[in-house]
Order: sequence, then C-alpha cells, then structure tokens
Amino acid sequence: MENILKKTILYLVIVFISLSVLIPLSYLVTISFSSQIEVNDYPKKMLPSLYHNIAIKWDAENQNYIVMRENNEGIFKELYISSKYDKIRDYMKTQLNIDMTTERIEKDFNVAKDTGEIVEYKYYKSFFNNYIKFFTVFSGAEKALINSIKAALITILISMSIGGAVGYALARTSIKKKEAIRIGSLIVRMFPMVSISVPMAVLLVRYGLFDSMLGLAIVYSIPNIGLTAAITRSIFIGVSKEYEEASLVFGATEAQTFRKITFPLVLPAFAASSMYAFITAWNDTAVSLLLTNKNETLALLIYKSIGGASSIHYAASGAIVLILPALVFTFLLKNYITQMWG
Amino acid sequence: MSYLKLENVKKVYNNKVTAVDNFNLEIEKGEFIAFLGPSGCGKTTTLRMIAGLESVTHGDITLEGKSIVGLTPRERGISMIFQSYAVWPHMTVYENVAYALKLRKLKKADIDEVVQDVAKTTDIVQYLNRYPSQLSGGQRQRVAVARAIAVKPKLFLMDEPLSNLDAKLRVSMRTDLKRIHQNVKSTSIFVTHDQSEALSLADRIVVMNHGVIEQIGTANEIYHESETMFIAKFIGSPASNFFVVNVILEDGEVYLVHDDFKVQFNGQEKDVLIKNYLDKSVVLSIRPENFTVNKGGFIKAKAKIIEPQGSHIIINTDIGGEEIKIVSDLLELESGENILLGFNDKVLLFDSETEKRIK
Repeated sequence: MENILKKTILYLVIVFISLSVLIPLSYLVTISFSSQIEVNDYPKKMLPSLYHNIAIKWDAENQNYIVMRENNEGIFKELYISSKYDKIRDYMKTQLNIDMTTERIEKDFNVAKDTGEIVEYKYYKSFFNNYIKFFTVFSGAEKALINSIKAALITILISMSIGGAVGYALARTSIKKKEAIRIGSLIVRMFPMVSISVPMAVLLVRYGLFDSMLGLAIVYSIPNIGLTAAITRSIFIGVSKEYEEASLVFGATEAQTFRKITFPLVLPAFAASSMYAFITAWNDTAVSLLLTNKNETLALLIYKSIGGASSIHYAASGAIVLILPALVFTFLLKNYITQMWG
Repeated sequence: MSYLKLENVKKVYNNKVTAVDNFNLEIEKGEFIAFLGPSGCGKTTTLRMIAGLESVTHGDITLEGKSIVGLTPRERGISMIFQSYAVWPHMTVYENVAYALKLRKLKKADIDEVVQDVAKTTDIVQYLNRYPSQLSGGQRQRVAVARAIAVKPKLFLMDEPLSNLDAKLRVSMRTDLKRIHQNVKSTSIFVTHDQSEALSLADRIVVMNHGVIEQIGTANEIYHESETMFIAKFIGSPASNFFVVNVILEDGEVYLVHDDFKVQFNGQEKDVLIKNYLDKSVVLSIRPENFTVNKGGFIKAKAKIIEPQGSHIIINTDIGGEEIKIVSDLLELESGENILLGFNDKVLLFDSETEKRIK
C-alpha cells in the first residue's frame, strides 16, 4: 500500500518535471514552424500545422477577392482583401508561409470569380520557411552560427589541453601543492564569467583579441579548465598505471599504449568535460555581448532578435537552430559519458 | 650457464632510498622461483627491474646470456601478471588475450587458435566475449593468466597475483597456477608476502628483507635450516620460538643454560660453540612442532591458552617471560593445566649479534 503510494508520487513528480520541460519546448517548436498569422492565434495549437484551409470569395461590388482562413476554432475569418494577384502572393508568403506562383493563384482564384461562390482550398505551408527566413532576415545569422561553432571548438581545445594536462599532473606526478592547485582551479568557477569579462575586455583589446572568437574562447575556458582538471584527475587516478605497464610488457610501444589503452580509458572524462565546455560557449550571451562587436555569436543574435516582437517566429526558429547542435553533440557523447569502467 | 642471472643488482630511488641492494640470483630454465618477504622489502621492485618497468641503478641482468638491462619491456620477451590483474576494461576477454598477439602481427586464424587454446587451459572459454566488468575477481585472474601464457614468454613474472582473492579461491588458484606452470613449463618468478603460497608453489624461494636477500633455498631449506633469525621469525605459522641461552662447558659437555632450564647440547654445531661461543649468549630457535609435551621433558610450564585447530592444538605458554607457542596433538589438553616440555634436536642456534645461524 505504502509502496504504491510512493510509486504514484514518484511518477507524478517525474511526469510534472518532464511536462514542465516538454511543454515550453513543444511550444517553441510550434512557434518556430508557425506563420505570422498563427503566432497571433488564440488558442494556440500544440503541434505545428502543415497547411492552411483558405476560402476565397469574389466581391463583385468592389471587384476584390476576399481571402479567409479557418482558425483553430473552425471559423473562417477574413484576412486580406485585394484584386492584385502578386499582392496576394506576397501576403500569402509573408503572413501565411504559403509559397505559390502568381499563375497558380490566378487559376485558383478565378474559380471563385467565375462561379461567384465561396471556394475552399487546402494550401500546404512551406514548412521550413521560418528557418530559411531566419538566415536571410537576420543578416549575419550564418556568420553567427559559424562564430558560435568556432568559439565552442576553441573553448573545448583550450580547456581539454590545459585542463587535461593539469588533471594528469594532479593524478600521476608528485608536484608540490597539489591540493592548492586543485581547489584553486575550481574556485575560479565561483566568479561569474560576466564579472571576469569587464577586466578581460581591457586585456583583450590590448592584445588585439577583442571581438574575436579566440578572445571569447579564452574567457569561456577560465571556468572550464578547472572543471576539466577535476574531472580528468579523477579518471587518471582511476586508470591504474598497471593497465599501461601491462601494455608495455605485452609488446606495445609507449605510443601504441597511449592510443590503445590510455586514451580509450580516459575518453569518458574528456567527453564529459568537453560537453561542459561546449555548453558554456554555446549558451553564453552575456560575455559575448560585452566582448564582441561585429562578430556576434548565435546565442547573442537570437537574444537580440527576441527583442523585436514582430519576428518572434523567426527568433523561435533561431532558438531551435541553437538547440540542435547542442543536442546532437550531447547525444554523440552520451555513450562515452555513461560508460562506466568496472 | 644459467637462464636468468641477476648480478649485484641495486636500485636506488631519488639518490637516497636504497630499495634493493647486492641482489645475486641465478635461475635455471623452467624453474619456479618465489620472492618472499614483508611489504617494502624490495621484492616487487626486483621483479619490475626484470620486467623493465624500473631502471636498474647498478648491476646486470642477463637472460639467455644477453644483458637485458637497456631494453624496453617489449623487447625482453616476458609476460607478467599484475597485482590488480590489469585486465583492460574496455576490451573483451578475447581482445585482452589477443592484444599481445595482434601486436606481434600474427595472422587472424593463428591468433584465434592460440586464444582458444589458452582459454581452454585457463577455463575461460565461455567468457571470451564478455567485458572484464562482468567477471568475478577469480575469473579476471584467469584472464590475466591466459593473457600472460598466450605469448609463450621467456619469463613469466607474477606480482602478488593471488592477494586480491578471497581465502578459498586463493588456495584453488594456487593449485591452478602450479598445474599451468607444469603444463607450460615456463620459467616463472612469483612475488608474494604470503609464505604458504611461496612454500607450496616454488621450486626455490628467495627470502628478502630490507632490500637484501636473506636466503635462497627450497621450502625445506628455508624452513628447517633458516639462515637468519629474520627467516625463523618470518617463516612458519606460528613462527619459531626464541630463547636467549648461555653456552657453558662442563666435564667436556656443552650445556645451554636458560633461567628456566639447562640442557645438554649434542648437535653438529657443538664444536663451533666450544670454539667461539663459550660463556657467551646465543639465541636458541625452536619451531612450535619441535617441542615435546608431557613426554619426559625438562621445562615446567602452564598451558595458558589453548587454540584448537581440529587436527592439532596450539598451546600458548610462557617461559621466562617469553610468549611461547607450541603445536601439539594432545587434543584433550585444557587450559590451565601444568605441562612438562622438552624439544627434539631440530633446533637452530643464532649469533645474538649478527642474527646469523651458527653452523
């Protein structure tokens, strides 16, 4: 009895946590595939729609077409009145995400004109319209994406090489003041990167690294070097020296031993810490706001674009673009991270 | 000419700590040698110098007549079982065993044949596709053995291979190792601090203490003819008993005099005693099973504590303030009883200063 109660509560908590993540995320996904008209719909749909139901009526009196759309409650509402096919085409494209040629519109609309009745059509949306728009409307989005990838990769490179070396030294060598170095490198994490950024801005300007991805990556690496050192230290301690010695005894050279034994064994630690480094660089807006000028990162660009309320669906697709590489990266590394050497 | 020869081998760490000194040993092909000693005595260091995992500070090691001191571990043609087994966790059992063979660029079919063969010898055929984390300690141990014999080494080194196993498994693994050694006929060196392993496995035992060899000999030799007091103390469970006695000469006979007994000595060391030790004190060492209890002895004592062992009992008593342990087959003896002790002639005498055996 008590067990069932416990389980029920546990599952309720799990469901609550998953929903509180999934609902906003699905909302974001829906928005990212919505047309301008759908953004203003109320109530909203949970899943993105693939098409619009459009009704066309010929207003003989004013010689105009009246374009109507079925909203989420099933009622056709007037959207646009015009007699010019190319204007209708532009409207469909920008407001409804429907990509049509003028000829097609002329042909379809003439049916309403000729019969004098209301004609209904099901028009499929150009599904990735917002994503294409995101990279065209926000000039520099492409560059920002490349910048973000650059910054993330350099951050990983710096954190892994320095942090990994420190981790190895802490685990395997007999250097002095080990504990002080270990704690010290972790204490650096306590300082918010933003507060480090202000003095760093001065330094980066002096060395010509302001507004560069290398400069950004250096700042991102500050908290991650200590973290990488801590994570790799523990795995270097865990990887017994005897594994390497066994390899040497059984006929491997030092290089072969590193490639076939040491590296595969410490890989999980490097995978985990490179994920942390990636996320730091990829998600940051505050530091890049301070330390870049023209070379924005993707996260910063999206952060800024959310401010322009009219283009919220483009910003949403930008946000999805921002999430995807992080997801892919995490999934690629997932196996290494969950690998536990027994 | 001996197969493996260590000459005046010395190991000094950081120019300060001498771990091994003046180590001389010759091993014949196919011999099973054990390095026995307390922890920190330099036995593992010596093994690692043979393996090439430690540099040699001074001296020479020759294998099949050629010096191997400057060679890397891979050039020495040895294999080793490590204390932690060092079975690589990211490889399956098969890959672990095949690792060295792949590095020797053997053909796939040949590798497979060898792996299957040694897997049969070590009884791990059914685990070949598993990862080490899915195996028990004893099974991992077998994998380590399989990996080591797969390469048909010139020398088979074992660094406390049984110390991580539970007591029962240790005894059965011990038998397995001996059986495998007899089948493979490899020249083996086995490092251990467990005397029963060394005594039961090795053809010859090298007893070490503080970085130097105390004695090299068969199990019988080091047990019954211990060269130093250290060995008499270290080997045997319970260990040997010691009495400080005075040597006196009365009417042409040698007597050993202790506060609680006086006994005539007729052993072969008699002449040496007369020559060098008259009126001096020496140390008399008596193994627990060399006492006679209630069979016409000459030392009166009281059985303070009795430890029954099933087949025999261990009597704890005290003679002249010294704690003495005696192995006896008087199973019905009870604690508190008075006993009369004697000892047979299998006693050893040590110089009380040098702690070396008088012979």
